[in-house]
Amino acid sequence: MNANACGDHCITCSDEGIPMQVERVDEARGLALCAAEDGSKSTVEIALVDVAPGDRVLVHAGVALAELTA
Amino acid sequence: MRYVDEFRDPELGRVLATEILAAVEPGRHYKFMEVCGGHTHSIYKYGVDDLLPANVELVHGPGCPVCVIPMGRVDDGIAIAREPGVIFACFGDMMRVPGSSGSLLEAKAEGADIRMVYSPLDALRIAKHNPDREVVFFAIGFETTAPSTALTLKRAKAEGVPNFSCMCSHVTIVPPLRALLDSPDLRLDGFVGPGHVSTVVGARPFEFIPADYGKPIVVAGFEPLDILQAIRMILAQLADGRCEVENQYSRVVPYEGNRRALEVMAEVFELRPHFEWRGLGFISQSGLKLSEAYADLDAEVRFSVPGVRVADPKACQCGEVLKGVIKPWECKVFGTACTPERPIGTCMVSSEGACAAYYNFGRFAREREVV
Repeated sequence: MNANACGDHCITCSDEGIPMQVERVDEARGLALCAAEDGSKSTVEIALVDVAPGDRVLVHAGVALAELTA
Repeated sequence: MRYVDEFRDPELGRVLATEILAAVEPGRHYKFMEVCGGHTHSIYKYGVDDLLPANVELVHGPGCPVCVIPMGRVDDGIAIAREPGVIFACFGDMMRVPGSSGSLLEAKAEGADIRMVYSPLDALRIAKHNPDREVVFFAIGFETTAPSTALTLKRAKAEGVPNFSCMCSHVTIVPPLRALLDSPDLRLDGFVGPGHVSTVVGARPFEFIPADYGKPIVVAGFEPLDILQAIRMILAQLADGRCEVENQYSRVVPYEGNRRALEVMAEVFELRPHFEWRGLGFISQSGLKLSEAYADLDAEVRFSVPGVRVADPKACQCGEVLKGVIKPWECKVFGTACTPERPIGTCMVSSEGACAAYYNFGRFAREREVV
């Protein structure tokens, strides 16, 4: 197995987050559907940030940690 | 991509490199530590060190969560994974970290049900789908992964998932930095501070570095221009005789961190009196365990673990690499007995580990130098 099997965004590292765009928000469950740079989509926990569709967030291990601001 | 491409602009990189060259005093040697493995990875991947003057040295710090997990902890994880009926979930890199008698990956090959997950939430999902099995999540990482584990445990409690538990090996960033600064082995001139840990804890916890130790620290992002700019900012502080915490990564890091993340962590975790770090030994109040309120979800309470301290293999110099005392290629087994395919030490396991990063991106340049 290659050390880079998980690519640039290795989730074991504390300091490699993935920028993602929020597509849909499920407020009742505290989850959002987000898309990454490569178009892949995943469900992200959004309890720690206030976001709406279109916002960009930094995701780490399935949790949005921060909203990306200009 | 926005927020990414503009921080990889080669022209701006050259401008920053010229400014750095102009900012250094010719006769002086500068030694800066990049605390986090993400920076180490970027530095080798983009060849950032090749853009720096010869008298600016980057030293790799202890901020790779996989690399700092001691062997005894891996053995504890394997012991739980081998319990009948257990599904053991962990992050991918953790599976390859060698314990005293093999890795989790080898335990999986021998029949243990060990599954790789990308998030603790995935482990919780596995627990819900397998109500007749015990699902244990091996939680590792600094303050960036800790909120994710904390939220998952809150969810497990709220939703009542009795077959889910967590073996908590989370660590915190400030105590090892203090230990490094107290170590007589190392003379540093400044720090490139960890970017994403700071999204959670903020930049404020690093104020002790200038206040108590008189060293500048600049919290930085992970693109090559982020790192170059941070180095230029540290040099500017040294040239001006300033010594403070600066935030290069303000597009992501609020100075005060993420209050909600800190609250959820405070609810779910408490500090362990001591925690063993690979290569750094025991550091007081540096590891997290589940708080009283969440003790029923603590895998170390639910299962018996050996909890035996295991010394690192003699040939392995991960400790010196993690403290920045030696460079990866100065280790006796680097690239020979120890490779990413068959790691002896943890620094070769994770792609964020200094040895793996150097093995993958930097060794060819080094070979050219040697010739």
